Amino acid sequence: MNTFLLKIWSGYVRLTARWPSIGSIAPFIPLIVAWWIVTELQIFPRVFLPGPVEVVRSFGSLVYTGVLPEYLQDSIVRLAVGAFWGIALGIPLGILIGLSKRAHTALYPPLLFFQAIGDIAWLPILVIWFGYGLTTMTVIIVYTVIFPVVLNTVLGVRSTSITLHRAALSLGASRARLLWEVVLPGALPNIITGLRNGLGYGWRALIATEIIVGTSGIGFLMFDARRGGSLVEVLLGMIILGILWYIVDAWILAPLERATGQRWGLVTR
Amino acid sequence: MKNLVIRNLSKTYFDVYAGTQVTAVRDVSLNVPESEFISIVGPSGCGKSTILNMIAGFIPHSSGEILVGGKPVNGPGPDRGVVFQSFALFPWRTVLENVAFGPKMRGVGRVEREKIAHEFLTLAKLSDAAARYPNELSGGMQQRVGVVRALANEPDVLLMDEPFASVDAQTRMTLQEELTRIWEAKRPTVIFITHDVAEAVFLSNRVVALSKGKVLEEIEVDLPRPRVWDDLNENERFKALTARVLQLVRSA
Repeated sequence: MNTFLLKIWSGYVRLTARWPSIGSIAPFIPLIVAWWIVTELQIFPRVFLPGPVEVVRSFGSLVYTGVLPEYLQDSIVRLAVGAFWGIALGIPLGILIGLSKRAHTALYPPLLFFQAIGDIAWLPILVIWFGYGLTTMTVIIVYTVIFPVVLNTVLGVRSTSITLHRAALSLGASRARLLWEVVLPGALPNIITGLRNGLGYGWRALIATEIIVGTSGIGFLMFDARRGGSLVEVLLGMIILGILWYIVDAWILAPLERATGQRWGLVTR
Repeated sequence: MKNLVIRNLSKTYFDVYAGTQVTAVRDVSLNVPESEFISIVGPSGCGKSTILNMIAGFIPHSSGEILVGGKPVNGPGPDRGVVFQSFALFPWRTVLENVAFGPKMRGVGRVEREKIAHEFLTLAKLSDAAARYPNELSGGMQQRVGVVRALANEPDVLLMDEPFASVDAQTRMTLQEELTRIWEAKRPTVIFITHDVAEAVFLSNRVVALSKGKVLEEIEVDLPRPRVWDDLNENERFKALTARVLQLVRSA
């Protein structure tokens, strides 16, 4: 019996080694089956817990009417715009604070102060300033993304060995060159960690913001569905959130990590 | 290659925790002619690394003069190549790119600088490792890269800060023999820092014994070249010189 299970396991390991996409889907199959069984047995009323079949059907109809693609695009564009500015401002700021003692003394305390206020806490005042629109959402996401990016960049810059700076300088690198050749690549593994955290928080902040101030997007879809009493669409929204994050991780973040820190031996696999 | 002159070099700093002024290097004068290989040897804390860091321009000196080819030192620069104990290779650059780094900073084009890098890698028998990343190499191989990376930039003086202290004993002997071979081929001016007396005698034309920040004595090493360990291990002159330096360093 035991060897039989081991054989199945080794077959599975070999299969996923050949087709990694199977490895990313297979673990969800028992979950979906369990969900399906629970709903088929009618342990909870259908209205409270719809099954996978209904969710897939509602996915089909929302795609057919064009609502879902539009909302999805809105959410992703908002996250992308917010993340872009968060990164574009966060990395230079982090490098500045990481390199300059004065900048660290002046900027670090306020940074920690504002980090504590939290994204959603800004919503009431932002709605008054910018109204219910893209500006408010962008500010919220930039705000959420920027802190993990800055703090991890600072950490990365500071953890790069001083001998690497010295090596570059004694090989003729100018101070400006040093930034590009040593400081930035040295901090990159930490910057990616910051990005991972930042995007994760940003994604959550976006959904929360859409629920409160949105007129479109996945968060709005879920909140709107709840108002209409359609739990199917709420579940669909939740599943889409999970899948989207999975894609961001598997297609963007993980390959970035493999190509940098892991390749260079700066972080253990 | 150029000569190096050090006149009355001192380094004092304020120890914040002890609350006192500390003298790390005291009135050191050295004259290193072009193409000479000298070692500064002494126990931990004798100030040898501080001297090297001042020559490299990594830390400012408190008083005295450091002249490379007659020009005073002011901060780090490509005229003084440095080989570090911790190798200090750029982890995000391949071996070839590491060696080509200096020429790249000088503005040498890609084709030309890769040609230079390949030439130096061949000299260190590292051609096969050109496309690999430093973390994929053994410590001994990493330091070979460290040495040729500094040499490929054609510095006026080569500064080596205990470069073989963190590799195993067998590899260290091989690296020492390779270094003498490379030195004979390229004849750079070398300042070699070490606490290993036998290593200092094996490599150098002259050994400077240092203790508590002061030069005790300079000893000429008149051993024939090329030097290999198999010959020198049994060589009476080598034994006598090593014993003499060891006695100096330990007595102080």
